[in-house]
Amino acid sequence: MNFRFRDKRVTGVLTVLPRNERLFLEEMKNFNFPEERSLKLKEVMGYDKRRVVTDGVCVSDLAVFGIQKLFEKGLLKPEEIDALLVVSQSPDHFIPPTSSIIQGRLKLKQDMLCADFSQACAGFVLGLLQAFMYLEQESIKKVVLVNGEVLSRKTSPRDRNIYPLVGDAVAITVIERDPEPTDIHASFRMDGSRHAALIIPAGGMRLPCSAETAQMQDAGDNNFRAKDHLYMDGAAIFNFVQTEVPPLIENLLATANRTKESVDYFLCHQPNRFMLQKLADKMKIPHEKMPNNVVGKYGNSSGATIPVALVLNLAEKAMAGTLQLCLAGFGAGLAWGAMLLPIRKLAFCEMVEYP
Amino acid sequence: MNEFLQKLAETLEVPNLKADDKLKSFPQWDSLAVLSIIAMVDANYSVNLQAADLGSIDSPEELWTLVQSKKSA
Repeated sequence: MNFRFRDKRVTGVLTVLPRNERLFLEEMKNFNFPEERSLKLKEVMGYDKRRVVTDGVCVSDLAVFGIQKLFEKGLLKPEEIDALLVVSQSPDHFIPPTSSIIQGRLKLKQDMLCADFSQACAGFVLGLLQAFMYLEQESIKKVVLVNGEVLSRKTSPRDRNIYPLVGDAVAITVIERDPEPTDIHASFRMDGSRHAALIIPAGGMRLPCSAETAQMQDAGDNNFRAKDHLYMDGAAIFNFVQTEVPPLIENLLATANRTKESVDYFLCHQPNRFMLQKLADKMKIPHEKMPNNVVGKYGNSSGATIPVALVLNLAEKAMAGTLQLCLAGFGAGLAWGAMLLPIRKLAFCEMVEYP
Repeated sequence: MNEFLQKLAETLEVPNLKADDKLKSFPQWDSLAVLSIIAMVDANYSVNLQAADLGSIDSPEELWTLVQSKKSA
């Protein structure tokens, strides 16, 4: 499905990364896995360091910390926030929404709208779409979008497929109406028939957590995980990305009557370096126009990786001038979405560390 | 076939391969090798293999047969 917006813009991005860092090669010593294969994974996939929360830290903790920093620095005023949107698959609770918890802890005004969206690696594109739609309302002038995950808490420490690559992060994006309207084109697609490829089987109403779902099971290849843990069919997801993402971006460019060359940077979700290099090769995009360094520096934080990639690679350029970005998110659902987003002199584009 | 053997050997980082080698007995055979082969076949032959397709494959020759059958399909 295609979307088009005119008078909206992103005005600032702040990412919040936990200070706690883990090293891939250290962690791999806990697995029954030859060291030369670990080194190979590091080289090809780009796994190196990742940031994860310490015990008990939730998405709202990271988000409140970050938004308060913006208040302290005078980059955002509490009374300006007309809508607070949270996109996460690791919420604080089933009830209430994490957005309500953040609103309460920040003592924001009551005359506003808070909403949670359950979406994973395509969550930044989905969150921006939501923010733009909210801004169609005259009463909503400024939207704060929170994309965040603490999924390291949902991975099995004995599952080599996922444990060494998941990172935690929150991204805070401010979206407003634009007095100098430019077109923003987006496209989003879904295939729920493949939902089992990326899933936490237990913990919802279909299969509530129990002693049984916490039991580690042999998943083959020396990997063990419980039904409470995040499961990913890595090869199926790799195939999904290589098959679905290039036509998504190509159709979006055609719809917007734009060329690949007119895009300064392709900011994609950051599952691993290998997948992004293969994606760039397939689309004949130079590697330097598609950053792939997030997983090796911070880990894969699902819907937060695109803003994390923006701050890590393009902060100065995004604050100084204009950038034509093409965003692409893809993952659980399965869902995949892309957006042609012009960025112009962001008021802030930075990272803070959560202590 | 020779060209395919060479590309497959490069992908698996082994000096050379024979058509009837047992791929899964190589120490290099793991989930990363599977992804690398899928990517190599996609890039060079425009054939989209599934990881499950590789499950029933033993030798380079069988893999080449599969790639050709998918290409003509």
